[in-house]
Amino acid sequence: MIKLINVSKSYLKNIEILHDINLYIEAGEFVSLVGQSGSGKTTLVKVLIGEERVGGGRVIIGDWDITRISKREVPYLRRQIGVIFQDFKLLPKKTLWENVAFALEVCGQSPAKIEKIVSSVMRLVGLEDKKNRYPHEVSGGEQQRTAIARALVHQPKILLADEPTGNLDSINANEIIDLLERINKFGTTVILVTHNREIVNQLKKRVITIDNGKVVSDQEKGKYLL
Amino acid sequence: MLLSFVRIVKFSIQDISRNVWLTIATVTILVLALFSVNVLLTVEMLSRHAIEAVKEKVDISLYLKSDASEEQISSLRSQVSQMSRVKKVLYTSKADALRFFREKNKDNPEVLTALRELGRNPLSPSLIIMPNSADEAPMLIDEIKKMDSDIIESRDFADNALILEKINGITNKVKEVGLFIISIFIFTSMLVAYNSIKVAIYTHRREIEIMRLVGAPNTFIYLPFVFSGIIYALMSVLIIIAIFYPFLGLLQPYLEVFFMDYNINIINYFLDNFWVIFSLQFVAVSLISVLSSWLAIRRYARV
Repeated sequence: MIKLINVSKSYLKNIEILHDINLYIEAGEFVSLVGQSGSGKTTLVKVLIGEERVGGGRVIIGDWDITRISKREVPYLRRQIGVIFQDFKLLPKKTLWENVAFALEVCGQSPAKIEKIVSSVMRLVGLEDKKNRYPHEVSGGEQQRTAIARALVHQPKILLADEPTGNLDSINANEIIDLLERINKFGTTVILVTHNREIVNQLKKRVITIDNGKVVSDQEKGKYLL
Repeated sequence: MLLSFVRIVKFSIQDISRNVWLTIATVTILVLALFSVNVLLTVEMLSRHAIEAVKEKVDISLYLKSDASEEQISSLRSQVSQMSRVKKVLYTSKADALRFFREKNKDNPEVLTALRELGRNPLSPSLIIMPNSADEAPMLIDEIKKMDSDIIESRDFADNALILEKINGITNKVKEVGLFIISIFIFTSMLVAYNSIKVAIYTHRREIEIMRLVGAPNTFIYLPFVFSGIIYALMSVLIIIAIFYPFLGLLQPYLEVFFMDYNINIINYFLDNFWVIFSLQFVAVSLISVLSSWLAIRRYARV
């Protein structure tokens, strides 16, 4: 469950990026967060992963009030929220398997556990046969699937996808959306941040529209409005 | 825990190997800093020995009349010995003085011939008075100047105090200049180490970003860089050990000539104090590197 209560955020004195945002996202929901560039979507993602602190209001994830989260607590939050981005953020000198394993290595997991978890997520995203390839040797869609596999290694309750199809053609984009839906069916809350009208309209799921830092629309089985 | 430590070391070694030239630059500056510290330590050790040697040589000679009787001399000797500032009084008789003179000039036939032609012992007996300490010498000289005795022919107050003062002055100057040079090196070392870690962070920015994204503990993100600082320190201390002993080997023959009558062995001094000297230097350089790394991490890795 994600709860945002009267959340506001300003970067400079008079520039308010988020204005009085109130949202409630149930555990296991699939939500599309749409809005034009500069509308505040990415800031909202940063708030949810503890990268930015809000100026006012409260942010609650599950039972955890992260409004004033300390730097020391941020890593624990990040293990509960998987994040993927438009630019994949893969390490070019590591194979796909190593990229996924890296997320567990840096968190101190044992090699046996890494082997087990990585194999299972690679199977889930359908990249078992390409695990020894380097990012430049696979397609954009496969790179994004690797990023999704990496985001899943901590079995997060929430998966935040910030423009995951921005760099992909429509076939690869659809494959990624299918994968996100599949992950959602396992019970993971998925928040898809996008401005891809076609994808949002195809999904026929909840759509939250943000404009100028405000929630202007929140519809069950909604459509891209802007 | 052990697994995380191994991974931290692995990441740290990756930092160093990916930025070889920066590592070389950082270690070179640290080696130069350590070299200046060790040269200063050598100068300090030598000056200490020189001062001790001069202090041991501080004495006052009383030359006595040739016709002074043994009783008169013995009486004067006991009078001087009773002075509170006197440690020891040595007596050199006329015969001893002649023997020493001959020994000293055994390679100088002209002097020996002249002495033979003279046909008698022209030298005076003397009392050599040693003060309790070099610091008491001026007061003792004052007391001896005031002493009245018919058998004293002349008094020789070699100005050892002045020599000591000069050595102390030179040593202090060397220390001041040395400390100034060391402080410049320490400042430069910090800047270079800071810059190296900054570049290492820049090289690893993608990894750091991903580590933060996937929930790596902050310690795991910054410790490899801190560990790199310790590796720089270890490398520089090992290099200085490898460089400095041959350097001392080159210096030793000159020192032996310079301090001919004193048993000064700078290599032995560094060997006897090996662990103290180099472990302290390792700790100091590690602190410098770790502090610089920490500042760079706080600024550039946003941990």
